[in-house]
Amino acid sequence: MSARPHAQAHAWIDADRLGYGAITAAVADPIQKRGPGRAWMIAIIVALPLAVITLIAIGAVLTVGIGLSGVNTTVVWGVSIANYVWWIGIGNAGTLISSMLLLTRQRWRASINRFAEAMTLLAAAIAGLFPIIHLGRPLYAYWLAPYPNTMDLWPQWRSALVWDFWAILSYLLFSGIFWFTGLLPDLATLRDRAETQAGRMVYGALALGWRNSARHWQVFETFHKTMAALAVPLVCSVHSIVGLDFAASLMPGWQESLFPPYFVVGAMYSGFAMVVVLAIIIRWGLDLRAMITPAHFDAMAKVMLFASIVMTFSYATEWFMAWYGGEHADRTVVGYFFTGDYRWLYAALLACNCLVPQALWFRSVRGNLWLLAAIAILINVGMWLERILIVWNTLSHGYAISLWRTYHVSLYDLVILFGPLGLFGLGFLVLARLLPIVSMHEVRQVSHAEGAT
Amino acid sequence: MPPLSSPSRREALRLLGSGLTLALGACAKPSEEIVPYVRAPEELLPGVPLRYATTLPLSGWGRGVQAIAVDGRPIKIEGNPLHPASRGATDVFAEAAILDLYDPDRSRTVTERVNGIASWEMFVRAWRAPLAKVRGQGGRGLHLLTGRVTSPTLARQIAGLRAALPEAVWHVHEPVDEASAARGANLAFGRPLRALPHLDRAEAILCVGADPLGPGPDQIRFAAAFAERRRDPARFGRLYVAEAAPTLTGIKADHRRALHPRDWAGLLVQVANGLGAGLPAPGLGAEALRFAEAAAADLKAHPGRALVLAGPALPPELHALAHWINGRLRAPVDLIAPPDGADAPPSDLAGLCAALDAGTVEALVILDANPVLTAPADLEIGRRLERARFSVHAGLHGDETAGATHWHLPLTHALESWSDLRATDGTASLVQPLVRPLYGGRSVHEVLALLGGEEAASGHDLVRQTWRAAWRAASGEGGDFETRWRRCLHDGIVAGTAAFPAAAPEPRLPDLPAGPAAGFAVEIRPDPCLWDGRLANTAWLQECPKPVSKQVWGNALALSRGEAARRGVSAGDVVRLSAGGRAVEVTVAIESGVAEGVGALTLGYGRERAGAIGDGIGANAYPLVSAASPWLATGVEMVPAGRRAEVLRTQNDVRIEGETRKLFRQIDLAELARAEPKGIGADQPSLLAPWQGDADGHAWGMVIDTAACIGCNACVVACQSENNVPVVGPEEIARGRMMHWLRVDLYDSGTPEAPRAGFQPVPCMHCEHAPCEPVCPVAASVHDGEGLNLQVYNRCVGTRFCQANCPYKVRRFNFFGYADGQEYAHLGAEPVRAQRNPNVTVRARGVMEKCTYCVQRIATERQAAERDGRPMGAVSTACQSACPTRAIRFGDLNRADDGVAALRRDPRHYALLEELNTRPRTTYLADLRAPNPDLAEDRS
Repeated sequence: MSARPHAQAHAWIDADRLGYGAITAAVADPIQKRGPGRAWMIAIIVALPLAVITLIAIGAVLTVGIGLSGVNTTVVWGVSIANYVWWIGIGNAGTLISSMLLLTRQRWRASINRFAEAMTLLAAAIAGLFPIIHLGRPLYAYWLAPYPNTMDLWPQWRSALVWDFWAILSYLLFSGIFWFTGLLPDLATLRDRAETQAGRMVYGALALGWRNSARHWQVFETFHKTMAALAVPLVCSVHSIVGLDFAASLMPGWQESLFPPYFVVGAMYSGFAMVVVLAIIIRWGLDLRAMITPAHFDAMAKVMLFASIVMTFSYATEWFMAWYGGEHADRTVVGYFFTGDYRWLYAALLACNCLVPQALWFRSVRGNLWLLAAIAILINVGMWLERILIVWNTLSHGYAISLWRTYHVSLYDLVILFGPLGLFGLGFLVLARLLPIVSMHEVRQVSHAEGAT
Repeated sequence: MPPLSSPSRREALRLLGSGLTLALGACAKPSEEIVPYVRAPEELLPGVPLRYATTLPLSGWGRGVQAIAVDGRPIKIEGNPLHPASRGATDVFAEAAILDLYDPDRSRTVTERVNGIASWEMFVRAWRAPLAKVRGQGGRGLHLLTGRVTSPTLARQIAGLRAALPEAVWHVHEPVDEASAARGANLAFGRPLRALPHLDRAEAILCVGADPLGPGPDQIRFAAAFAERRRDPARFGRLYVAEAAPTLTGIKADHRRALHPRDWAGLLVQVANGLGAGLPAPGLGAEALRFAEAAAADLKAHPGRALVLAGPALPPELHALAHWINGRLRAPVDLIAPPDGADAPPSDLAGLCAALDAGTVEALVILDANPVLTAPADLEIGRRLERARFSVHAGLHGDETAGATHWHLPLTHALESWSDLRATDGTASLVQPLVRPLYGGRSVHEVLALLGGEEAASGHDLVRQTWRAAWRAASGEGGDFETRWRRCLHDGIVAGTAAFPAAAPEPRLPDLPAGPAAGFAVEIRPDPCLWDGRLANTAWLQECPKPVSKQVWGNALALSRGEAARRGVSAGDVVRLSAGGRAVEVTVAIESGVAEGVGALTLGYGRERAGAIGDGIGANAYPLVSAASPWLATGVEMVPAGRRAEVLRTQNDVRIEGETRKLFRQIDLAELARAEPKGIGADQPSLLAPWQGDADGHAWGMVIDTAACIGCNACVVACQSENNVPVVGPEEIARGRMMHWLRVDLYDSGTPEAPRAGFQPVPCMHCEHAPCEPVCPVAASVHDGEGLNLQVYNRCVGTRFCQANCPYKVRRFNFFGYADGQEYAHLGAEPVRAQRNPNVTVRARGVMEKCTYCVQRIATERQAAERDGRPMGAVSTACQSACPTRAIRFGDLNRADDGVAALRRDPRHYALLEELNTRPRTTYLADLRAPNPDLAEDRS
């Protein structure tokens, strides 16, 4: 890593903690030397019941039927699909941060990429649940996979849902591998610092014999960069295909060529917002102020601001094209956005996604973590609203006016809307206790560049 | 005296042990022998449907049907083409009779009020004493209450009973009667005559409060005649309707006027004056006057081909006035002697009440009637029944009256019994059983014989005796009874029994009564789905959307927008209607085309003892019915009850600016010559390959004539019956879910005050470029070589992408196991399952389903054609065969001789949303109206 440090005033690591030993201790000690602490226990107590009711809700929908959701004859998709798109969007940012920033040599990514990747993995896994539990017959979800069978039946390849099946599957596999291989040097560090036999055994096994040799490093770097290069198109493809689930239809408000790129940017947008929220929590919870500095937040806030502008532009394009295209149905649906049954939700969406993030133009806002957290949460709310309204608006107000009707949110919908946050939190809390949540080897590289010894 | 202390430990264990042993022993199946047919009965092939001609009653009138049975199990009702009240078509009531047969809530045993379950033998013993007493008095004290009796056998039995016991009194009470019309005919002609209007010969028609196309025993006959005439543009004619709230006739009218009942008399007087009646000029409003003058001019211009119809809510004098007008117009109306008339006219319900009050009723027999529910409320029959010393009720259900009498006897369903019935034109037909009584009931004939002391009479013999005597009287000893009997059973009618038009004197001009009292009035109507309430426990009918309001699972008070605003109520408010000291709480629904100062409410709801389906659904309108004015409650007070309730509908939007005209093409008759047929959009460019048929060369298609569709829903229930479509229940409807494969949409291009609406049945479009097919990830939605868009149920995983992508929204999803273990109420019970069509898969939970064009019927015909080595003949879908107006035509587009291909070249032809390039196979003919140019700007 011979590249010169950035020529600007950014300090990616606090000067007084700059040192290989200090960095390693800051990350590894909370896992290996200290107990979970009160904050962690409280967080577990909050997350655990949520996770349990999610599992109960999933059990209920599998045994009683998808009728538990608020879906109806007209609005056949609902909260499950919106949740799916939202979680897969969250899942996008981790890989994007890791790979895109790695390829563009944004060194500041080192402090946040590990938990962003963990976030990806958990979010993509949670997202993967929704398409299954929203099926009428989840038992047969595997029929979307091409497996040899006596009936000689194969998936129907023209369906965007089959593409989606592959997109999620490959994305899950890829993010798992990317995350795990990126962990290898840190697992070796943990193995070396472990104080118990069990710790040495487990971390040792997971470290796959990493010996810190130059040859290891050379192979690792090549592998990691190659994976990163693979990740970028994959990240784009996964959310483009999610966009195609809607765009490859003939319904007004869905059949738009804008959807794939708009979905990718939207995913990046909500993903970054989620990373900001998590970074603030982790920084406070694990006392990682040295490694996650205001400079990081400043950079991420700028990305969010950029994404917000792109999203606003996308919405405007949608409206403009509906008008310019002249298709009666498209115009009707856009009119319905603003005047229909869900108009207040649409107004909230525009406020959260377009208006509020404009505050990030101001340096003082970018520097205030409370404000930043509030904006990031609002962006995530806005992005969920965007996804649910894509489903609701078009389906509630399609071509058949005799069947126009609205969605009735059910208790089950509320549980699977909020419950998975507990599942996610639980997974994250467990990971934070078992594995280094910040990439030690990469931060050490940054610190080398910043003059550590 | 047993010891008062509890049993000892040993004793308790002993009891427990013996109880357990007994219980386990009792679980063993009773030993039964199952023996296969050694010699199979002739004509009974396993799995091959058989059709039997029989007759179903509605308010006592017979409608001939063909009941289809598979392996001895009736599964479907179809029309009987030979019967004049069916003409091969059905209505919702006939279709739903099959579910009524299997209703698990039907009474299964004789019951006694105090001791509960009893037996026929116990009843016979209990009946001996009152029978002996009334016999000793020559019948005095015996009162028989029935509904309308058209059955020659029942009439013969009653006549026999009256001959044997001359002092016995027979009362008739039919909830939906035609008392006003009968009295009107009496006024006009001096004797009771029944009018049979011929809509096929009437070109200018004025309906005042009348709904000939609406539900009722004559719906099929009238609708078929009306639509058949209108197929010929030269005889299209013009239909004027003045009514308080929209009916099916009002929706089909060329000119409709929402008119308060108090102005109905004025309208008829205005028309009569135009024909020289010289009555004092009525005070009609300017608009109504214009309407009346236009209608009168049109009627006058069509002598011999003009007709005026008066509704049941009109007083007898106005019926007489309508007869006078029709006489002047030489209207195509036949007058016949009432087919339900008896030599000695029966008494009515008021007579029974007087006898009950006098305490002279020794024995009261109520035969297949439910007066406690349906009697005019001012008679308070429920309270008065207590005064009968011995009362027995025979009925299909343990209903309200069964709860008020000492004994209740279970009757057999029309599909389980031998009987005979007459249609409204007097045509007699036989009722034959398709199945042995499911629940140990007896037919009315057997019950009446039993009450007369003849215990072992069989319905079959009683009916045969009637006809043996009738035919012997007609043709002497010469006729071969068996041959003729078999012929009648086979055909489903007794030939030559239609009543001959009676020679009637010139109708007299009546003295007109004072109009109805001022104040808010409520028009009460039989329900288009539940009729008078006797069908309230039939789930198909409860979930059948009402033709105009599209309400399901309940009724509501229809008010106009202006009336509701004036009274400060809004849709969904519960109001308390009180008249004559009785009150009803009912939910308000705002509807288009309701006259100011009047509300409309239907009967049949608010049942207390209907069963698991019908109990407590909707509001009971009977408390507003009075003996003097059954169909119009005047001076009704309306106050908000302070709560709200949901009006469940299957269609919420009927009038959308810019959309309605696109989806529902309406043409004026004058412009028909200039109209061009619209294609299915096949001229548009497409990336998809054009549809290619297979070697068979069939291309199934359907054309629906919206001008002929009267919105009666017969097709909806027929589809449900044929295709095992489950009922979802009110909770699911409230969540926006429904299962009907075929819906009848209502579109209105008018205004709330003056609707200009029409009906559009929407089944699956079977698009050649079906949007549902490419989006299914597992290829459960596929196309076949004959152009059918098929749904493979056992391949479906339930992503619902197909329905999301269907622009017509015709697919239906099993959100729960509606037919698969999670049925509504008792619909999962064993008897209900017996109704299911064995040729149609019962769909599981989580599976998408939709209209198949009755693929099972196509397959049956294909197999028959292959077996016989002939080309395939015509295939009729369930909706098509039910349709009284033949609005639905199904056939092979590749066959020139099949009418469907020709209909696609009709100038009124169009496809729904053809701009989407889906190339639908189901297409439409535009609605056609002939508005009067004189009323051009008045679309009301």
